Amino acid sequence: MNRVVIVGAGSGGTLLANLLARQFHKEIGDERVSVHLVGEGDDHFFQPGNLDIAFRGADPKSTVRRESSLLRKEVVHVTDAAAKVDLGSRTLTTRAGASLQYDHIVFATGAIARPELMAGLREGSLNFHEGPAEAARIWDALQRFKEGTVVIAITSVPHKCPPSPNEAAFLLDEFLRKRGTRESVRIRFVTPYPRAYPAELISEVVQPMFERRGIELVPFFAADHVDSTAKKIYSLEGESESYDLLIAVPPHRGAEVVRASGIGDEEGWIPADKHTMRVKDHPEAYAIGDATSIPISKSGVVAHLQAEAVARNLASDIRGDRAVFEYNGRINCPMETGRRRALFVSGTYDSQPSRESPTLLRYAMKKEFASIYWSTIQGGWSWLMDAYFGETAEPHELPAQSSP
Amino acid sequence: MSQTTQKKVIDSRGSFCPGPLTDLFKAYRSANGGDVLEVWATDPAATSDIKAWAARTGNQMVEVAEEKGYTRIAVRVTNKKA
Repeated sequence: MNRVVIVGAGSGGTLLANLLARQFHKEIGDERVSVHLVGEGDDHFFQPGNLDIAFRGADPKSTVRRESSLLRKEVVHVTDAAAKVDLGSRTLTTRAGASLQYDHIVFATGAIARPELMAGLREGSLNFHEGPAEAARIWDALQRFKEGTVVIAITSVPHKCPPSPNEAAFLLDEFLRKRGTRESVRIRFVTPYPRAYPAELISEVVQPMFERRGIELVPFFAADHVDSTAKKIYSLEGESESYDLLIAVPPHRGAEVVRASGIGDEEGWIPADKHTMRVKDHPEAYAIGDATSIPISKSGVVAHLQAEAVARNLASDIRGDRAVFEYNGRINCPMETGRRRALFVSGTYDSQPSRESPTLLRYAMKKEFASIYWSTIQGGWSWLMDAYFGETAEPHELPAQSSP
Repeated sequence: MSQTTQKKVIDSRGSFCPGPLTDLFKAYRSANGGDVLEVWATDPAATSDIKAWAARTGNQMVEVAEEKGYTRIAVRVTNKKA
């Protein structure tokens, strides 16, 4: 029996479980392979929807579905949280104390927004990275906000969805213009980076748009703490920005199970090979998506493409093939720029994101993807994904003596 | 209270923009005054980005040196108040 355990039921973990279930349908029926997906609770959130909740008033319920309804029947769904993984004895322990032995494990444990890690941030700010309920608080606050300064701040890096702070600024600008109060509200975009977007060629497009829309850029601001009484956010150098409403990207960390298992770095990110996604020194373990320390965007598309690569590598492991599939670092992060336009931040490990102007077509593609998301994580629309992305994990043949 | 200053090497080789800056920011957050943060980068934009960062934040550029296949960029932490 080949026992595969996937930890984390976000988009990467869910897609991987479904791909393996389809790939090993017969073997699972014959009890030669098993696929367990361990993830707390039964809610699956479409995280990009948080922006629509925060700045367009979308219903938070529209971005959530039952995880169990998204999984193929061959997948054993464990709704208890993973508490600890012992890579030595290949054992996962759940919070309730149940043990799962495995032969192969995949960490798809994500990134967790942790406002409490920065003094004053929880009390002094709102955010759309923790989930739909927090995002809805922004929409509520905007209904009451008539004049003053809104600061949108990236307080720490890395964080989920690199374009999302820029999108927040554009969508806030759009909301205020539609409501007719843009003239009485300043929008200040506070970032530790030297420019409006970390990648220079994308910033060359975004920064002039900020200027045209009156979004004020505050670069090189490494946030240190927030004084929620004085309504100020301070930098490590002692500078401050005053706000009337602070919408902040909180510090992010790896999942608690990663820390408790002693697998990650000091922030809980898992060191994995950026091509094979294997965890360092543990060929039976993989890590995908936001959970890794790989210098790549923490985004759903990356999790999706890495899940596809790992599904193929696990198939090689289980079948004893020598083919290893190497993910090429393809990213494709949509950035909405308001006024029904969007651009895509696309690149690979070897090619940095190139300059792209926002278009209606990109906007339509982003919106269309939201509608097919639930199907894509069940393995659907793979022909479309393949046609759009092409080959993102080239196979390589391992030398005869070095198969894992 | 006196603190021992340290040199910390941040190996960002193979990481493209904004990888080296992101790695520097992480190290800066836990650094003390007087520490030297030395970034090793293959990204050609890293030098100008880190120079601009040091100038803007009031920290001190110490050295930019071309090594075999990468650049060594050293900054001394001199203006961190927190």
